[in-house]
Amino acid sequence: MSELVRLTEVTKVYQGGITGALNGVSLLVEKGEFTAIMGPSGSGKSTLLNLVAGLDRPTSGSVAVGGMDLGKLGEAGLARFRRDNIGFVFQFFYLLPNLTSLENVLIPAQLKGSEATARARELLGQLGIQDIADRFPARLSGGQQQRVAIARALINSPTLLLADEPTGALDTHTGDQVMELLGQLNRDGQTILLVTHDAKLATRHAARVISVMDGKIVDDARLESPERAASEVIRVRSEEASR
Amino acid sequence: MSLKFGVLGLLKGEPLHGYEVKNRFEAMLGGTWEVNIGQIYTTLQRLERDGLVRPIGRRGDRGKLQYELSPEGHKALDQWLAQPDSGPQQLHEDIYVKLLLATRIANGNLQQLLGRQKRAYLQRLRDLNRLEERARRDGRVDLARLVRGALLHTEADLKWMDELSSERFGAEEGARTE
Repeated sequence: MSELVRLTEVTKVYQGGITGALNGVSLLVEKGEFTAIMGPSGSGKSTLLNLVAGLDRPTSGSVAVGGMDLGKLGEAGLARFRRDNIGFVFQFFYLLPNLTSLENVLIPAQLKGSEATARARELLGQLGIQDIADRFPARLSGGQQQRVAIARALINSPTLLLADEPTGALDTHTGDQVMELLGQLNRDGQTILLVTHDAKLATRHAARVISVMDGKIVDDARLESPERAASEVIRVRSEEASR
Repeated sequence: MSLKFGVLGLLKGEPLHGYEVKNRFEAMLGGTWEVNIGQIYTTLQRLERDGLVRPIGRRGDRGKLQYELSPEGHKALDQWLAQPDSGPQQLHEDIYVKLLLATRIANGNLQQLLGRQKRAYLQRLRDLNRLEERARRDGRVDLARLVRGALLHTEADLKWMDELSSERFGAEEGARTE
């Protein structure tokens, strides 16, 4: 595995308030990892994701992705970096309502013409929604909209997929399915950084769980995945009454 | 819960002998509750004594002796199934007592204890997730439901750790109760 993301002593100060601020965060993410970032709202976890995405700049410290120091890039350079390296999935999908699913997926496409369309259709197929390519977002369920958003995030084969509460607006079952898709993408090699407050979903797919509190990383847990016997995981207890 | 009603429930389907009860009970629980055959025999004897089950055929080799539910047994089982679990909340894990002691011993510094416990809960969540997947893969929907319950409980434990972590424990808190 090789290094993909490196945060060094990153601080982010927001004027007029401390919520979402970061206070000296250092972090290393390897290629191929599925990392979950957890923490209460206002802890800074979304800020962390936005800095890695190049959507925001740190007050001090450095953010490097794929060996590229984002602090050295101008606005145009950052935009190019995001387009070529980052796929972003949001809680509320953010699809454009006047475009079909296929057209939404094609918005950031770098490939041209039929090549791009073929790639977009392939992604929709891979995510199990090829049949809704020509539908508008208003006619899609939440789960379908999020799948379209994932396809859009993947259209340029990003080195890093960032997801900020991607199941936050979905019911449990649909959320499970979306997370299952992210898990499959990771098994196929996609590096994923996920912000979530759902520990059940986080630990199901991410082998690494980072806890953020008050702008600091307070824990960085690498979880094991051995095949454990049921009795090692759950014990239904017997309270024998001796009658 | 007690083994007693588990055994009654299995005998409602058909008469069984001790080893069949043991095997079916353990299979039903998917390995989350192992019982030894001695416990099964003791339970069957008590149930017979209380008139809830009765042996079929002649008493000889106890391994071959089958039991069936008596009418009273049917009634007791139905009553038990219809009754909600009430009574006190069961808190079996050491963490509850550790927490109380740590407030006194560690002079209010609980962060390490909470941090380690949180990690253990995260790992348990991962293990439970894998167990649930396995149960679903094996077509054991009933077992998957049981695991789901455990997952939600562990999630609550984790939230509790987070809540405690964000609290400020004053040194006077432990002293107040002494």
